[in-house]
Amino acid sequence: MKKQLGFFVDSDRCVGCMTCAMACKNQYHQEKGVVWRRVYPLKEEIYPHKERAFYSLACNHCEHPACMHVCPVKAYYKRETDGVVVHEQEKCIGCGNCIRSCPYGAPVYNPVLKKAEKCSFCHQRLDANRLPMCVMSCPVDAIQVIDITRLDSTGLVQFAPGFPKQPALNPSVRFRLPRLPEVVRRKTI
Amino acid sequence: MTLWKKNDIETAMECPMTRRRFMKWLAAAGVAAAMPCGFLVPNETKAGIVYEGGYETFRNACPRNCYDTCSMVTYVKDGVAQFVEGAPESTFTNGGLCVKGNAYIRKQYSPDRIKYPMAQQGRGSGNWKRISWDEALTRISEKFIEINEKDESMLGLALTKYSGNFGITNYGVEGMFSSLGYTTRMVGTPCWPAGIDAQNYDMGNMWCNDPEDMVDARYIILWGVNPAWCSVHTMKYIYEARQRGAKVVCIDPVLTQTAAKADEYWQINTSEDGALALGMARHILDRGLVDQDWVAANSVGFGEFADYLKQEVTLEWAAEKSGVPARRIARVAEEFATADPATIWIGYGMQRHVNGGASVRAIDALVAMTGNVGKAGGGARYGHLMTWGFNYHAMIQQPPKGAKGFLGPTAKGEFDFTKDAEGPAYTNRTLNINKTARELLNATDPPVRALWVSCKNPLSQDFDRNQLEKAFKKMELVVVVDQFFNQTVEQADIVLPVTTLFEEWTVNVGYWHYWLSINEQAVKPLHEAKSNIEIAAALSKKMNELKPGSCTFPTDIDTKEWVAKEFNKGVYDLFGINSWEDLKNGPKKAKANRLAWADGKFGTPSGKYEFRSDLCAEHGFNALPKYVEGRKPYDKLRLLTPHTQFGLHSQFINLDWMEDFNPRPYVYIHPETARVRNIADGDRVLVKNKTGEVTITASLTDNVPVDAILMYEAWFKNNPYNCQNLVDDTSADMGGYKAGAPGVAIHDQFADLVKA
Repeated sequence: MKKQLGFFVDSDRCVGCMTCAMACKNQYHQEKGVVWRRVYPLKEEIYPHKERAFYSLACNHCEHPACMHVCPVKAYYKRETDGVVVHEQEKCIGCGNCIRSCPYGAPVYNPVLKKAEKCSFCHQRLDANRLPMCVMSCPVDAIQVIDITRLDSTGLVQFAPGFPKQPALNPSVRFRLPRLPEVVRRKTI
Repeated sequence: MTLWKKNDIETAMECPMTRRRFMKWLAAAGVAAAMPCGFLVPNETKAGIVYEGGYETFRNACPRNCYDTCSMVTYVKDGVAQFVEGAPESTFTNGGLCVKGNAYIRKQYSPDRIKYPMAQQGRGSGNWKRISWDEALTRISEKFIEINEKDESMLGLALTKYSGNFGITNYGVEGMFSSLGYTTRMVGTPCWPAGIDAQNYDMGNMWCNDPEDMVDARYIILWGVNPAWCSVHTMKYIYEARQRGAKVVCIDPVLTQTAAKADEYWQINTSEDGALALGMARHILDRGLVDQDWVAANSVGFGEFADYLKQEVTLEWAAEKSGVPARRIARVAEEFATADPATIWIGYGMQRHVNGGASVRAIDALVAMTGNVGKAGGGARYGHLMTWGFNYHAMIQQPPKGAKGFLGPTAKGEFDFTKDAEGPAYTNRTLNINKTARELLNATDPPVRALWVSCKNPLSQDFDRNQLEKAFKKMELVVVVDQFFNQTVEQADIVLPVTTLFEEWTVNVGYWHYWLSINEQAVKPLHEAKSNIEIAAALSKKMNELKPGSCTFPTDIDTKEWVAKEFNKGVYDLFGINSWEDLKNGPKKAKANRLAWADGKFGTPSGKYEFRSDLCAEHGFNALPKYVEGRKPYDKLRLLTPHTQFGLHSQFINLDWMEDFNPRPYVYIHPETARVRNIADGDRVLVKNKTGEVTITASLTDNVPVDAILMYEAWFKNNPYNCQNLVDDTSADMGGYKAGAPGVAIHDQFADLVKA
């Protein structure tokens, strides 16, 4: 199998600091409100402490990307070498098909250019032998680049609780779930 | 779940694309061609701004008041800073910044930046007009000269400055004031003074190990500290220690992000940290787990401390006070005492109380009696200033000949490294920075007539906001040096635009880690911004033009040369460099001083660790680290106003990039507290106390205790929110000894709330 780069999202190490999300803006200067990577707090049904466990998510660079299939102008392609899904914004007509089709909310609308855009896996950085900015910047190594085809996935999950289960797309992301501390609360207040 | 180790992924992959190994490869190979996994296909896609290569890089350092003080690399093209990264040479910064650091490009190029000197017709009116530097400096100088003629001194001129920019040359602001004569200075710090004094009484200095040695700890207690937000680069060492088998316990009134990553979290009753520490100490004593050899060789007063514990402290009492069950306290005390080494990181939040210094002393005692002071991987960690041995060339300036000043007692701040001059009759007049509002209002003979604000945003950070507004109104002239139209600038007559870290030369060190970074000028200053020392030089020129001899600050300065003047042989030797220019190749870590008190030679009067400190008693506190009661509640709920992850005090939160992730402030309320007040998640609520009120959106969470509410200190653009409306200026116990004024009891505040 060819190489398929993806993201390892280590919720056990993640502190929800949003560094990865801002690092993306640092590199790409997106318009206000346009965010390629988000740090989603887990709902309390999944993790009992509000806003204390997170999934850092952007484009999952799926094996079978919905965005690519629905794009009427072939603005998307998947790189042969590493499986990164690239959106060529100059070809985009802003129809919104990809935005509506992606179950992970990866493509977003740029209201200034009136076009879609999304996480590029920093492929220009990859080609210059640099890590994606989010991965480079994470101060706790909670998000990492993985090659899905060569990964020993023991202890990892592809469809973590709350993450849309879309096996047909085969998103290139793996999770480790967050820990729970032993919590000692005051008995009487 | 199978415990997964980081290395598994690295070894599973042919391509070592995980971060550290990737960085090592780059460093070792030096050339991209050596990468084993060829990303061979260049791509033609151009989607707006992307990584292009061919950048010029510059060294910068984040100068904010932060544990992490990151070493940065700035990528510049066409004279524009394009993006930033953490410096890979610093093992602490490790190639990555934080959410704030990654917003610097927006801070630099924000359309909201103050571009020119401006004058406001009527404070708070928003009626700003652009003026020239010459006009601004003329107006300011004329006022200063008028004050000097009226009062026959410059004491009517006050400076408030603290930590908005810790670049060493920015102490030129203090230098500018010294060069004008004897003036009024706001002295002290709202930050960490009670703990500084506590550690000085116990050990003779505030000094902690290199945080990077936390990996060697076998037991870590994170006590009132939230590194997951406030020192995010330290988390990797805590994780590593845990990976190696250490247990991590987090003690905090709030279930913080750090608490969520601990093995065990204790929701302590706020400000009862001293009782908890003493309860642990009593149990350790009872179980015979005291490190008797260390105590005998290195300390004084342990016998008296042990007697106090036996007579006044029980496990049950500590459990009652702290709210932590006795069996838990006993077990963790035993684990802590038997782990070798064990360490406690004492946060600044837990000493912002009327009994804060006393609590820090109790925790220090716990670390010392178990023999963990002076050990790698051990220690009572709080902070240090061991790497701050600069010349303070910019800071040390002489008053003009014949200047008159203040006769009476004065205070010195913890960052004031100047030596006391020999027998000058006159000095500056010092006022308590933590009581800025009342001090400015009450100062007489002469009154404070003009206020200069730099590296500080008092109306966002200082206490008793309503009083502070009155104090500002009383001023005849307010000059603020800043980058954004914040709430302090709103109350200014004149605002002067100051450079960002990308636009000036300076040098930075940390008060937590041991790294030294140069800050190069990466781009030319935008618009008409000047650095603080350039402003000082320009003011001096104008002062001397209008009244020759009225200011001694050099009028023609080269900011790069002034950086060089801050260095000396001591700094070079400590960091193993031959010239400051070596730092252009990357930050350097201190070669010595990174293991606190290893030789057992303490800085106390006895030269030992002092369980009994007579100096502390002389200063009006207990000689022993005894329990001290907290502040009596003055309203129904405790109000906590700690630091947010999205800003440093009032900086960064206002940026539109940050608004994408943190659009508005909230008050965090326990669901039960909200229920009895008929408040639902998302409701607007009115928080009120004797000091003032805040209207804000409610967020319900049991991360906060049922008897407390929490809101983060912040300044939002287009939002009047200010938590200081609710915080009074009650002092903490300690701080006057080493920081110039007692700390402030920021977390001893109370309030109630209703649906708005």
